[in-house]
Amino acid sequence: MKTENCREWRESLGAYALGHLSADEQAGLEAHLEGCAECRAEVQSLQQVATLLPHADPERFGPSPQPPKDLGERILATLDGERREQRRHQRRLRFGFAFGGAATALAVAVLALVVFTGGGGEGEPEQHVEFSSLPAGVEMAAMLEPHAYGTEIHMYVSGIRSGTLCRVFLRADDGARYPAGTFRYRWGDDSNAILSSALDLSRTAAIGVHAGDKTFIAPVDRSAAAIQIRPEEEET
Amino acid sequence: MAAGALSRERDVRDAYAAHAGELYGFAVRSLDDAGLAEEAVQETFVRAWRAGERFDPEIGSLRTWLFAILRNVVIDLGRARSVRPRVGPEGGIEPSVEPLDEALLSWQVEEAMRRIGDDHRRVIVETYYRARPYAEVAEELGVPEGTVKSRVYYGLRALRVVLEEMGYED
Repeated sequence: MKTENCREWRESLGAYALGHLSADEQAGLEAHLEGCAECRAEVQSLQQVATLLPHADPERFGPSPQPPKDLGERILATLDGERREQRRHQRRLRFGFAFGGAATALAVAVLALVVFTGGGGEGEPEQHVEFSSLPAGVEMAAMLEPHAYGTEIHMYVSGIRSGTLCRVFLRADDGARYPAGTFRYRWGDDSNAILSSALDLSRTAAIGVHAGDKTFIAPVDRSAAAIQIRPEEEET
Repeated sequence: MAAGALSRERDVRDAYAAHAGELYGFAVRSLDDAGLAEEAVQETFVRAWRAGERFDPEIGSLRTWLFAILRNVVIDLGRARSVRPRVGPEGGIEPSVEPLDEALLSWQVEEAMRRIGDDHRRVIVETYYRARPYAEVAEELGVPEGTVKSRVYYGLRALRVVLEEMGYED
């Protein structure tokens, strides 16, 4: 209960919390605290603050260091570079869609648009695979890149339910499945998931994606390039 | 990607204006190196931008999120640095840096002390950190001893408010 004494004692609570009161003052204040829940609560709260004081170094109470003036602009420039790189990468992966739009009304059948772009530099070109015959509004594409360890997969998905877990696998010529990892699709995320599988691209017959309760498979037919597309021009 | 917190350049500018000073202050405090601290702040914004959509304002403030990222960046930079242990003046290996959470706590309390009023900070420094008698401090400041006492009280209260504003949770 708040009493008239409070005003008298209140301003000693800080010194008390720091252990700075004389024995007499302390005894007097503690007698007051016995009967005053409000002051007790205040003391407790101040004592919590007091326990933090030893963590600070009073030599460091001067003005805090400020970042260099141009740091903000440098950060924006870095992010701008990242954005451009991402868009460039995105376009490399997505250009197949321009050819796929009209054919997407079919139900389950899957048609792969395989495109050779040259490059790759490891004996076999990277391959762009578009999943077609997908539900309306859904887009899926993959770029497969051969490596000594197996195959690197850049997977692009959009339009499915946000949060959907996608499990990607490659199927070998002999039908064996090789897992390539998982990712979660989020709305608004137009980045590629970068995955890898131990299966050599030269032995890869198909790529599959389990997304929710559906599985989408696109054949990777390296000898049957349906359409030739000239490699995208680099951004200037 | 980055459709969330920092997707637009304006968001990055706003976040930078609001938080870069504090982030940099903490980075300097924990890394003790202005160059590394710049690197840490830059890396923090890059990671935040990349992971923008993972920011959920219902879980915590942008500031708290940026500090969490910075904390990881500082750990990474600290690790990278510890690969090349510095040799102290005696020729021995310098003791390991204080644990990061302690550095974060120290920085928070120091930053809070910087933000309270000069009068309040002064009496806390004199009576607590320098352990000087209240009477002596009162004389030096030309005020009654009771005033020193009440400034200690209001100073601690102010510190509590600032720490709360900074998101300190015990």
